[in-house]
Amino acid sequence: MPLNQSLKGKEYGEIAFTVDRDRVVQFADAIGDDNPIYRDAAAAKEAGFSEQVAPPTFLTVMQIMTSGQVVLDPELGLDYSRVVHGEQEFELRRPVVVGDVLTATPRIADIYAKKSNEFLVTEAEIKDASGEVVVVMRSTIISRGTGGSGGS
Amino acid sequence: MLFEQVSVGDEIPAYTKVVKREDVKAYADASGDQNPLHQDDSFARSVGFPGIIAHGMFTMAHLTSALTRWLGDPAALKSIGVQFRAVVFMDETIEAGGRITEIDPNTKRAKLDVWVRVDRAGVSEYPIKNSRAEVELA
Repeated sequence: MPLNQSLKGKEYGEIAFTVDRDRVVQFADAIGDDNPIYRDAAAAKEAGFSEQVAPPTFLTVMQIMTSGQVVLDPELGLDYSRVVHGEQEFELRRPVVVGDVLTATPRIADIYAKKSNEFLVTEAEIKDASGEVVVVMRSTIISRGTGGSGGS
Repeated sequence: MLFEQVSVGDEIPAYTKVVKREDVKAYADASGDQNPLHQDDSFARSVGFPGIIAHGMFTMAHLTSALTRWLGDPAALKSIGVQFRAVVFMDETIEAGGRITEIDPNTKRAKLDVWVRVDRAGVSEYPIKNSRAEVELA
């Protein structure tokens, strides 16, 4: 069944997230990046940052937190078992650091079909406590075989 | 990385790692993405794969590390946008790379084509390709 095109532009509820020191270390360990500024506030300060720094893709954590609202939206008609992650983009306006209090409001930026597949583009601006946008994330997931022109 | 040190056509050093099951589990816990496709072999087989696959974001994080190691400063990475085009299985070696396509002398920003390659029985497959990054040179 095709996705509900009328949901283009729909906004979902705001998610709040505070960047926690241990979570940043856990993430840096998991991706195997040994840069000391991801692990040690003193090393980060020596390199000119205000605090221990989160790796560039760390806010995947917020994307996972926000994506459930979208992909499970009953109005959307997405069958999650048909989904693969097609594209991912980060605009990094400033480094995320430990102690940042962030909010994200995900929205459906686009829904389109290509051959037998459909593409769902979600976008979220991540803002800090002062309202400044620190990161913009765009994620495209592919719903396999639900497009109109595909046949079987 | 200094502006004076780079030219269009330069490649960043290839950066490899072997993808281990325990790393993918650690990534599931650190990112919060607990999709069984990345943890449960029988589930992965039920949807047509021979076993679990790595998260696309795990592979993208490795590519990002390749760029920030080359740059020397993670804050110099300004944007990265990737297409996931092939899956990555356990114990495969992923190799991240990139090539400078454009340098703007006014802003000291450079654009790169970036990719992640795996060798599968002598054939190169690209889990990430047709992908771009923008960086700021010092």
